[in-house]
Amino acid sequence: MKLIKNTIKLTLFVAGLFLATACEDKLDAPAENRSFTESTDYTITSNIKLPLIGLYAEFYGTQWENFPLISVRGDDVNAGGLGDQQDYAETDKFNYNKDYWMYNSLWQNYYADIFVAHSTMDEVAKYNQYASNKALGEQYIAEAKTIRAWYLFNLARVWGSIFVPTSSDPSDLLVAELKTKDEVMQHISAQMDEAIPNLPEVRPNERVDITGGVTKYTALAIKALANLELKNYQAVADATSQIISSGKFSLEPDFYELFKIKGKLNNENLLELQYSDFGQGSGDAKTYLFAFFGPQGWTPAVSGAGDGWGFYEPSLKYIKFMLDRGETIRLETSVLFTDRGITEIKKDSKYATLPAWISNTTRDGDRINDYPRALFASGKHYLPSNQLTPGRTDYGTNKNFTCIRYAEILLMHAEALTQGATSSAMTAVAAVNAVRARAGMSALSSVTNEQVMNEKYAELAMEWGTRFYDMVRLGKYAELSYDGRTFTENKTFLPYPQNQVDLLPALK
Amino acid sequence: MKKLFVLLNLLLSVSFLFAQNPLNVKGTVTDVKNEPVPGVSILIKGTMQGAITDADGQYSIQVDPQGVLVFSFVGYKTQEIAVNNRTTINVQMSEETIGVDEVVVVGYGTQKVKDLTSSISTIKSDDLVKTPAGQAMQALQGKVAGLQVVSNGAPGNSPTIRVRGIGSYPGNENEAPLYVVDGMFFDNIDFLNPADIASISVLKDASAAAIYGVRAANGVVLIETKSGAYNMKSEISYDGYYGYQVAQNVLKMANAEQFTTMALESGSAADATYILNAMQRYGRSRVNPNVPDVNTDWYKEILRPASIMNHSMNVAGGNQKATYSLGTNYFAQEGILDMKNEYERFNLRSKIDFKATDWMTIGGNMILSNALKYDQEAGAWNQAYFAVPILPVYDESNEDAWPVKYANAQDLGYRSGQNPFPTLKFSNNRLKIRKVLANFYVKVDLLPEKLSFKSTYNHAFTSLDERLISLPYFIGNSFQRANASITRNMSNYSDQIWDNVLTYTDKFDKHGITVMLGSSFRDEAYNRLSAQGLNFPIGHEESWYIDQAETIVSDAVHDEGTRQYGMSYFGRVSYNYNDRYLLYGTMRADGSSKYQQKWGYFPTVGAGWVLTEESFLKDNPTIDFLKLRASWGKLGNDNIQASDGAITTNVVTTAINGVLVSGTTTSSTYSSLKWEVTEETNVGVTAKFLKNRLSVDGDYYIRDTKNAAISVTIPAIGGTVLKNVGIIRNSGIELSLNWDDQINKDIKYSVGANISTLKNEVRDLYGQPYIDGGSAEFRQRSIVGEPLLAFYGREVIGVYQNQDEIDADPFAKANGLVPGDFKYKDQNKDGKINDDDRVVLGSYFPSFMYGMNFSISYKDLELTTSMVGQTGNKILNRKRGEIIWTADGNMDADLAKNRWHGEGTSNKYPSSSGLRRGWNQKMSDYFVEDGSFFRIQNVQLAYTLRGKEMFGAQMPETRISLTADRPLTLFKYNGFNPEVANGIDTQTYPVPAVYTIGLNVKF
Repeated sequence: MKLIKNTIKLTLFVAGLFLATACEDKLDAPAENRSFTESTDYTITSNIKLPLIGLYAEFYGTQWENFPLISVRGDDVNAGGLGDQQDYAETDKFNYNKDYWMYNSLWQNYYADIFVAHSTMDEVAKYNQYASNKALGEQYIAEAKTIRAWYLFNLARVWGSIFVPTSSDPSDLLVAELKTKDEVMQHISAQMDEAIPNLPEVRPNERVDITGGVTKYTALAIKALANLELKNYQAVADATSQIISSGKFSLEPDFYELFKIKGKLNNENLLELQYSDFGQGSGDAKTYLFAFFGPQGWTPAVSGAGDGWGFYEPSLKYIKFMLDRGETIRLETSVLFTDRGITEIKKDSKYATLPAWISNTTRDGDRINDYPRALFASGKHYLPSNQLTPGRTDYGTNKNFTCIRYAEILLMHAEALTQGATSSAMTAVAAVNAVRARAGMSALSSVTNEQVMNEKYAELAMEWGTRFYDMVRLGKYAELSYDGRTFTENKTFLPYPQNQVDLLPALK
Repeated sequence: MKKLFVLLNLLLSVSFLFAQNPLNVKGTVTDVKNEPVPGVSILIKGTMQGAITDADGQYSIQVDPQGVLVFSFVGYKTQEIAVNNRTTINVQMSEETIGVDEVVVVGYGTQKVKDLTSSISTIKSDDLVKTPAGQAMQALQGKVAGLQVVSNGAPGNSPTIRVRGIGSYPGNENEAPLYVVDGMFFDNIDFLNPADIASISVLKDASAAAIYGVRAANGVVLIETKSGAYNMKSEISYDGYYGYQVAQNVLKMANAEQFTTMALESGSAADATYILNAMQRYGRSRVNPNVPDVNTDWYKEILRPASIMNHSMNVAGGNQKATYSLGTNYFAQEGILDMKNEYERFNLRSKIDFKATDWMTIGGNMILSNALKYDQEAGAWNQAYFAVPILPVYDESNEDAWPVKYANAQDLGYRSGQNPFPTLKFSNNRLKIRKVLANFYVKVDLLPEKLSFKSTYNHAFTSLDERLISLPYFIGNSFQRANASITRNMSNYSDQIWDNVLTYTDKFDKHGITVMLGSSFRDEAYNRLSAQGLNFPIGHEESWYIDQAETIVSDAVHDEGTRQYGMSYFGRVSYNYNDRYLLYGTMRADGSSKYQQKWGYFPTVGAGWVLTEESFLKDNPTIDFLKLRASWGKLGNDNIQASDGAITTNVVTTAINGVLVSGTTTSSTYSSLKWEVTEETNVGVTAKFLKNRLSVDGDYYIRDTKNAAISVTIPAIGGTVLKNVGIIRNSGIELSLNWDDQINKDIKYSVGANISTLKNEVRDLYGQPYIDGGSAEFRQRSIVGEPLLAFYGREVIGVYQNQDEIDADPFAKANGLVPGDFKYKDQNKDGKINDDDRVVLGSYFPSFMYGMNFSISYKDLELTTSMVGQTGNKILNRKRGEIIWTADGNMDADLAKNRWHGEGTSNKYPSSSGLRRGWNQKMSDYFVEDGSFFRIQNVQLAYTLRGKEMFGAQMPETRISLTADRPLTLFKYNGFNPEVANGIDTQTYPVPAVYTIGLNVKF
């Protein structure tokens, strides 16, 4: 009996200890539900597209505050949203506050995407080692380079001297030095030269694999933009000439619809952010927050359609400029009028009588009621309520956001030529007249640089701050000093966000 | 009610066995002062038969002439007396002196309190049940020196618990102490019924906690659930209360008149127009015709009084071979937020020990907890703060509104709809929390009374079934929810622990020794599946299934899981020489699958010297007990994720040409993490004076967390990554005093107080001068030599009162400042005010916490009170900071009343227009306020009916109590709740005062 008892005891004890120890190998179990990059099988080269799609997803998923801060300072647009986001309004008046959240946000958002572009290039390169056709991988890397260049271009325009990352590791910036704005633009131009040979020679909407993605002409356009900032006009003329000579691009005949659903993947677009509700009234949707630009308290043609926040107000100066020129289609497309706004225009005796077409109701029947936060709303960021997919109510759902379009290419071309560059692709006057014709404006017999700049003002208002950066580049500070604000050269760049100054020694 | 019925049935089905015997024994039980002691339990040893003394201390019992009687009563030493054919047995009970033979659980075993060399505080059941709360830890507020309890008012939510400051960087879910419930590890114990808990022991210092090695760095809280006892007469008890919760210290917001004044003074034409619009829409006030005829107090609208109740039934007892304790409990609490916001919990519990043979004991413990929680819409608190008072709740002229005509601030011109009611009323956040804790053990006595082996298997299974419903509404074009949505999150946790422990206890002459060796295997698995559907039939709750939805959102389907293993070996030696010199040591080796570094080693040593056992202090008339103790230990924290921002690939989707396509992004920041290591030195004294009436416990500790995992902001791109880059030190003094006395046989009283100091300090950041935390706009900075995450900004020294003052200040003039703007302190005296003038503005850790309690009883009437408070902590009034993002909301009345609006009106707050200017929005001590508070924590008046008869029958012992929990809180902070866990007040659930009536009956 005692023997049995002790045997049981001993067995239990030994079994306990032994079994417990046997569990030790579990310590080497790998973590669950992770796709470790180190374990990615790069020999499956059909996956080479995934990192690139990831970059496009980041590019299209841009945060709402980025564009407004980049583009608010020109004489084409005011901050709007009165009483709200005071330091946004102050920025519009060239009073900068480096503690303001939007500054830090734009900086972080754009740099984050630049690092995604770098890691995309790294990942694509890893797949490409195993690819039989290396050209595709090279093309994808060139696309990432082009998107990266777009971010750097905008950052340098806003801040001047910036960091130019060279790897996908942000901590490299802790010891990096700043590059001047000119150095950044030269870098972009050189990058585009590297990218161009590897990119497809098609219009973005002709691409089948990634419709609307980057092509050779996108890279040429960014090269032209960078060289324009450098006042390297011949390079601008050369790059735009190639785009024009390709014959791939054309102006959308209906300027109004260019900024609506019809403008999605249009033959005029060289670079655009894509969104979609996938044709469904509910469920998945990829959207941009157009509500920022929308008027408040409207009476939409389709009841229940949501309105906006009342920011981003076209300036009276711009509206009067357009009225002076006798513009119709471009003014109607660029500006949504309220009765209060119309009254405000009429206060100037010169505009006591306005053309009959100017009213607070759009051609699609959306009535823009008076609201205290602004007099006008941006028409280029407006989607008529009758173009919303039934069931969707958020302002602007399913609309794309254009970054670079052919009209800008033509006008840059004309600008470069009027600054002394030469080209055989097209004359300056032909380029300007092409743009004017679409807008229902009469042809000019010849153009001066000033006329080109006015044409750019009329055509590209509220698009990416083009007007502001043009005037800064040309030193026309008087143009920017309107409605009680004064622009001086030392206001060209925003101060570095305090949060970044605290983090990055080079910014101190 | 149905649940109550089930509960009763369950208890009645428990049957009892009674034996029989001839000899009738009588007697009186008295205490040392020869006063009779009522309620003493007398059991015949080896049976379950027994008796209880009446009000005069008398008993009678039928017993075998050779039997043994066991006399026991709480607070007295248990005595076993052989009958030996006597018919009268009078017994004198002697009080059990705390600290002599009292035993505490110390992890994988128990230890005598007098042998402790470390710092452990134990709270018993009686103190827990005085607090009417669903969560047991709430009852510890102010009771344990060095333990910070930050209350949470939301039903079903746990308070934040910090043991001796914070050793780990917050925000990574790594701050909570380890809870060990009957041997099983938990992150929180909100599933337990406080009345089921026998004791909670807080292992405060590293030496006490080190036996739990890598899980112990944030302190360890050991919970023992109630159990029966061998040879204990069955006791059936009911314990319950019912009461109301009322919001306390509701923050006064600006009323319509004050708000209108602020808006008109803001300098914003748009804001003035909104006021006009409101007057057009809702009319003008008859009192002041320049103010709209609406004056909504939004907090008042969204708050409600709410009920709270608790009912517990328990049966406990035991015979020679077995002990048992069975219980059931129903707890229900409504939230004070006016929506479907409530919590109810139904628990079943059983604990059984059985001596299978004379050398083997087996036992099991099961707790089933089934809770249903309707979660708050947390955003409502924030919305109510900012909603303008000139907006009514309902607006009949909002004709298109559906299904309720709620008012819409957008109709007045505001950017958002503001009205919190659509959020509150059209949401239904249901969470079913089901938890089963089961543990079984077998204990084998290899050498009787000396060497034993115990193997315990624990399994905790948790299922969380969450259903989030958002119902559609239309209040305005941009204040609508077009789609009904249903989100289901199903998660389960299956955690297993298998412990094997060998314990050897022996005494040779004057040497007492206990040796314990053990191993523990952990397996923690977690799974979660979630999906979302849109547009389902909303009318009936029965249809609220994703299957009924028209659309299933493919982007919202998630499946995730983790599984982690741990293997540990540990040992403990405790030795005492003649009860005079104490030595203690433990060692734990922890292996984890979580890190590259698999093994960690966590040792501790401790020593104690009981001076009262020395000849020079023995039998000292004043000092009854005096022990000096010191310990050192090392702990780990494996709540740190294995790697942060690991180079992993994430799937993302986007629209290309109207088609949803997937791609991948690869994170580019990476840090490989290891566990944090905490080292702590503790010295302390435990003493009793003046016939054990005064007890004193004092401790001083220094706790260093090395390899502290700190969130480091990633340069340029934002976001943070955790890195083991710092040393954080917490140090402090803890002192508790308790005085217990009896004035005469009817009046007893006790007074207690505890205080603790805390100094939190960053000691090293591995070469960096500082690491930024918080948000970019409201900077918190960890600087070497300063507290972790200290608020960091400018110091306001006043407000510019007039233009002369500005003209006299070249910097103010150059920057276009105007009267009513802040005047900041030029810290570096360079004549400029800029970011070089930022300084540390304070920390959210209280530097001083205190608790007090007082109780007095007269015969069967008892009054107890407790108080709690803290000072030295700061709160970021982030609600005032929201103006940086949205300027048109309401503000608190203090700010509206005391704004600058002309020379001499305020030197504290800027003008209304100044509030909107960037200059005044920079992080400064305007946003950082004093978080000190003092609170009357609990007042209870109780009356106990003992030995009474009713209609000729013996009445059970009945205790009736009235409780006011947290009836009064005093503080200066401009918020409604000074208890903000992380010091950043964006929205906190108000902590209500609770008034209850309670009943306790023992059969």
